[in-house]
Amino acid sequence: MNRNHFYHQDTKAPSKTKEYFNFSKPKSNSLKASLVSWCLGGERLLKVSLLLALMFPAAVFAGTLTKAEMVDVLKGIDLRIRSGGDYKALVYLEQHQKDKPDVAQEAIVYRRDADQKLMILFTKPKTEAGKGYLRVDRNLWYYDPTVGKWERRTDRERIGGTDSNREDFDQSNLAVQYEPAFAGEEKLGAFDVWHLKLTVKSGIDVAYPIVEFWVDEATGNYLKRQDFALSGRLMRTSYDPKWNKVYSDIKKDNLWFPKEIHIYDEIDKANSTLVVIQSVDLSALPENMFTKAWLETKSR
Amino acid sequence: MSSLILLLQTSFRNIFSSFLNVVIGLIILFGTLFFVVGGSMVDSMDKSMSRSIIGSIAGNAQVYQASSTDSPALFEGWQIPDLDPIPDFSKVKGPLMSDPNVAAVVPEGINTAIVVYGNTIDQILEKLRKAETNHEPKEKIESLKSHIRQMVSVIQTDMGKLDKIASKGAMDPEAYKDISKASSPAFWDSFNKDPFGHLEFLENKIAYLVPDSDQIFLSYVGTDLDSFTKSFDRLQIVDGQAVPKGHRGMLLSKYVYENQFKLKAANRLDQIREAVVEKNKKIAKDPDLQDLIKQNRNQTREIVLQLDPLSTQKVMAVLQTTLGSKETDLPKLLSAFFDTNDDNFLGRYKVFYDQIAPYLELYRLKPGEMLTIKAYTKSGFVQAVNVKIYGTFQFKGLEKSSTAGSMSLMDLMSFRDLYGYVTPEKIAETKSLEKAAGAQFVSRDKAEADLFGGSDVEQTTQTKINDKTEMGGGTKLKRADLVNRVYSADEMEQGVAMGAAILLKDPSKLKETMKNLQAICDKDNLGLKVIDWQKAAGNLGQFVFVAKFILYLATAIIFVVALVIINNAVVMATLQRVREIGTMRAIGAQRTFVLSMVLIETVVLGLVFGTVGVCLGSGFVLWLGHSGVPAGNDFLYFFFSGPRLYPGLSVGSLIGAFVVVLLVTCLSALYPAVMATRVQPIQAMASED
Repeated sequence: MNRNHFYHQDTKAPSKTKEYFNFSKPKSNSLKASLVSWCLGGERLLKVSLLLALMFPAAVFAGTLTKAEMVDVLKGIDLRIRSGGDYKALVYLEQHQKDKPDVAQEAIVYRRDADQKLMILFTKPKTEAGKGYLRVDRNLWYYDPTVGKWERRTDRERIGGTDSNREDFDQSNLAVQYEPAFAGEEKLGAFDVWHLKLTVKSGIDVAYPIVEFWVDEATGNYLKRQDFALSGRLMRTSYDPKWNKVYSDIKKDNLWFPKEIHIYDEIDKANSTLVVIQSVDLSALPENMFTKAWLETKSR
Repeated sequence: MSSLILLLQTSFRNIFSSFLNVVIGLIILFGTLFFVVGGSMVDSMDKSMSRSIIGSIAGNAQVYQASSTDSPALFEGWQIPDLDPIPDFSKVKGPLMSDPNVAAVVPEGINTAIVVYGNTIDQILEKLRKAETNHEPKEKIESLKSHIRQMVSVIQTDMGKLDKIASKGAMDPEAYKDISKASSPAFWDSFNKDPFGHLEFLENKIAYLVPDSDQIFLSYVGTDLDSFTKSFDRLQIVDGQAVPKGHRGMLLSKYVYENQFKLKAANRLDQIREAVVEKNKKIAKDPDLQDLIKQNRNQTREIVLQLDPLSTQKVMAVLQTTLGSKETDLPKLLSAFFDTNDDNFLGRYKVFYDQIAPYLELYRLKPGEMLTIKAYTKSGFVQAVNVKIYGTFQFKGLEKSSTAGSMSLMDLMSFRDLYGYVTPEKIAETKSLEKAAGAQFVSRDKAEADLFGGSDVEQTTQTKINDKTEMGGGTKLKRADLVNRVYSADEMEQGVAMGAAILLKDPSKLKETMKNLQAICDKDNLGLKVIDWQKAAGNLGQFVFVAKFILYLATAIIFVVALVIINNAVVMATLQRVREIGTMRAIGAQRTFVLSMVLIETVVLGLVFGTVGVCLGSGFVLWLGHSGVPAGNDFLYFFFSGPRLYPGLSVGSLIGAFVVVLLVTCLSALYPAVMATRVQPIQAMASED
């Protein structure tokens, strides 16, 4: 339940991340602890619990986060994932579908977070090599070298036909895009997690307007995510059980990325996707690479 | 014999002797008339529908892999059946052709695809990007630039209007800055110094402001086009030409071409014209036509964005002259032009096609151009191919049928590319990737338990990623080569097919031939199943069965009712004749005579009125056969195999009508006849008292 210790676990240079999480332990937890110790014992526990449940909001005893604290949690996630400079990752995607053979692909993800640019270039299998996505500002483009065409795609685009979407590979902007609400404190396997419910702010385009996150209280990484349509229908569930961190000289801090993302389609239950980020390279990328012309040259 | 003659004479004499007999007769008359007309209609529909189905795609029979989950369903629209592929068509064609009644075996496969069109400005920007990349003539580039500049100006005007009515903050302030920049002379003056940089700006900052991107859903049959056009002789090329033998290419259905690829405003004008001229409908009285006019009035943007500055001036001049207006706003002029009524519609229609259409691209695609279509492959990837559209086609007599016109035709090689047959090499490549990644897939139900047991954080180090090494296996693409390549018959045949249509020399021997073909498939272990055209057509093919079932059910209901009424009527008539029957029995009439008398009287009544019903029904069918039954909608158009059904008399229906009449009258008269035989002479005397 300790919310503080993970903010200082980075051993390298001081980071901005720490500033976002430099809040003290909420008083609600101390109150809870003293009340519980007083109440423990025989029948009194049950009676007092019932009485308190009626007298006080349940959240007091559930380790509720204030809105400011939740925003800080989201800012922390965003900041950890954000790259100070350029970013390149070798990604493996595996798609499972009912009555169809498995599909395995490899792609290189390029990011320049400062300019909000993203490119995904498929490298394997042979038939997919050269296909790619390019995100510039509000536009997500898809290029298919077999036909030499660019197509405009939406943020809901299933990357490479899998259940993943652009947000799974891009920088994170949760604190800017969503309003958080606290849904509870839960257990996810061996982990204590905060369950947050995020609703998109007006005027912002995202793949899913409602998202629920289960954030590890100890590390601040989100471990589970559920995406909902505006109607409230659950669209997909994804798990990010392992997070890797790699030191960035430009950021002067660690850059975090999920080692694996397990995505389960909630509409077509037989479909699921495994994304593995195999390696990360933070070397500088060519200045003009986030252009249509650059991606076209890859298959020429 | 003399008794029989006597009974027949009596029966004929008694036909109109009572009101009850007339009622019974009319019920029988109506039943037989219904049976003859309905039966003839259904039989004619069966024949015409078989012509539609056999002559369009199905052939007389179809073969497909017996191991498939589904069976072929050729007219089910977007419901593509799950069929296992025939890995090598050439290995099954020979054995199937060995049957002496088989005229042709045509490989076929059905699939659906999507054609994605960016928004209007995206499409012109794409042309400009291509022109710049290929260093096309300066005049063409300047013309495209001028068109885009005009579009930017239209968008800027629209944004200005929107700004006045939209709430504050509804539009991104950056968008105003971007549109101002794109419309500035400085932007266009510097265009040639960095065309691709300017294009990126227009594509990413301006084009998204036009939200009219579109996509077309296409159903198609992948086939050996040469063999198909020879075997299905109802096929006619309407625009362009047939795909040259051995080439990749596509023929679009004329119906799809008109309804999906044509400028929407022009298509709506065509629909109104057809309703007004061919169906004699009045705009003033038809809400559907009024709605089409309203859509044309409100949706002028598609035309406005198509016009470059010079064309805009010319179209405006035409509109001003036609309308007698001095208005200078093109959308307003177009809206007024499309605001038509019964008096001016045909005149405006003519002006549109004669004077405005020459400045417009009436179709998004012309024969000879390339179309990019994409489909989900069997393995789950989205695959796209460029296919040259050689022309459009229709099936003779089915020109306006949406069902027959739903399918376009594609060459077998492109079909195979889009189908994405999973070869052993592809499976090996996937396995190799899976192995290299070393990733463990976790099933949904075990995910939380398996994934969240230990630590979730790990420090790692950077690894150099070499793009060239990773891309090493990528294929170098030669799109132009594919378009021009000529495939041999062997190359076409030695590959995957989803099934095949079988066309017979003598279609009347369908059942025997199917039996023989199935025996050949079993003997040669081809793993194929043979089905007739009706089953291959899916639910559509079962329509005649349903129609026949409804006809027989309705006839059965009519005659069951008739049976009960006739039975009651004859019972009543018998009770009224107790004295007469008793007297007959007293003077020596046997029970069999009485039984025969009642039966024959009823049967004669039935036969007389039944014959009248059959005659009236036959006359009605002959009249329908002459004048034709109009197909009220697209669905019936297909069933009628054309705009009208000309039914012919069905001998089966005539015979069936008489059999049913005989059966019903005999059954209904049986009980009262037996009752009459039990009348004793004493009863006649008792009643006398």
